[in-house]
Amino acid sequence: MNQETAFWILSVVAVLGALVAVRQRNLVHGVFALLLFFAALAGLFLLLMAEFIAAAQVLVYIGAVGILLLFAIMLTERVTGEGKRIFSRGWLGGALASFAVLGALLLPPLRATVLPAHAQPVDPSVRALGEQLMNPYVVTLEVLALLLTAALIGAVATAQGTAKRKGAAK
Amino acid sequence: MTLDHCLILSAVLFAIGLLGAFTRRNAVVVLFSIEIMLNAANLNLIAYWRFSENPAQLSGPLFTLFTIAVAAAEVAVGLALVIAVYRHFKTVDLEKLDTLSEE
Repeated sequence: MNQETAFWILSVVAVLGALVAVRQRNLVHGVFALLLFFAALAGLFLLLMAEFIAAAQVLVYIGAVGILLLFAIMLTERVTGEGKRIFSRGWLGGALASFAVLGALLLPPLRATVLPAHAQPVDPSVRALGEQLMNPYVVTLEVLALLLTAALIGAVATAQGTAKRKGAAK
Repeated sequence: MTLDHCLILSAVLFAIGLLGAFTRRNAVVVLFSIEIMLNAANLNLIAYWRFSENPAQLSGPLFTLFTIAVAAAEVAVGLALVIAVYRHFKTVDLEKLDTLSEE
């Protein structure tokens, strides 16, 4: 019963946070709504017994991605977006397309398939996760490390590229 | 809280992210709409793992971990691109960014 209540509260917070983030005119407020969405999702992961994923969600999304987005917003446009259209010209088509995708996702599977209703008991230890990460998934882990390094170097090079060239031209 | 509820929530969140990515003009907002979609997919992975026959196998959390790492790399590169584009065009309005060349 308690779990049920927590699930409903968290899902309402997640949906509202995502909606506000997507539709907010002020970009900084939008990012804060997005952080609320990330936090609600971390709570949902906890409810689903994925503790380590919840912790990673808080660290990576709320900690890193949120701050990165805030910096990107401060480095680019005026944040409030007053007096401008915030939606693109083809917004009606986009909205219709996303509702169509929602319908396509929801309708046919819910009518056809029978889903397991009860969860198996699960041991939420991080130890098992770490052992699996070392035994069958070690190559994936290494590739991921390489990808992160490459992405960081690429990000720095991309963001700096024009400035460097300007300096060289002088 | 059954699997159905989690999947419906995940579908709704994915559709909201898609709505943002399709309808907004600011490149940063489009980027974080993509993050919303990735998170909805993560919720799906975790929910299927939780209600699977053999949750001791842990493939759900592991895949989610990999997705989170890839999404973090994606957002770093994406924001660097947005900043580079802003340096060049002095705007991140996607309706005005309709060329790949210098002029």
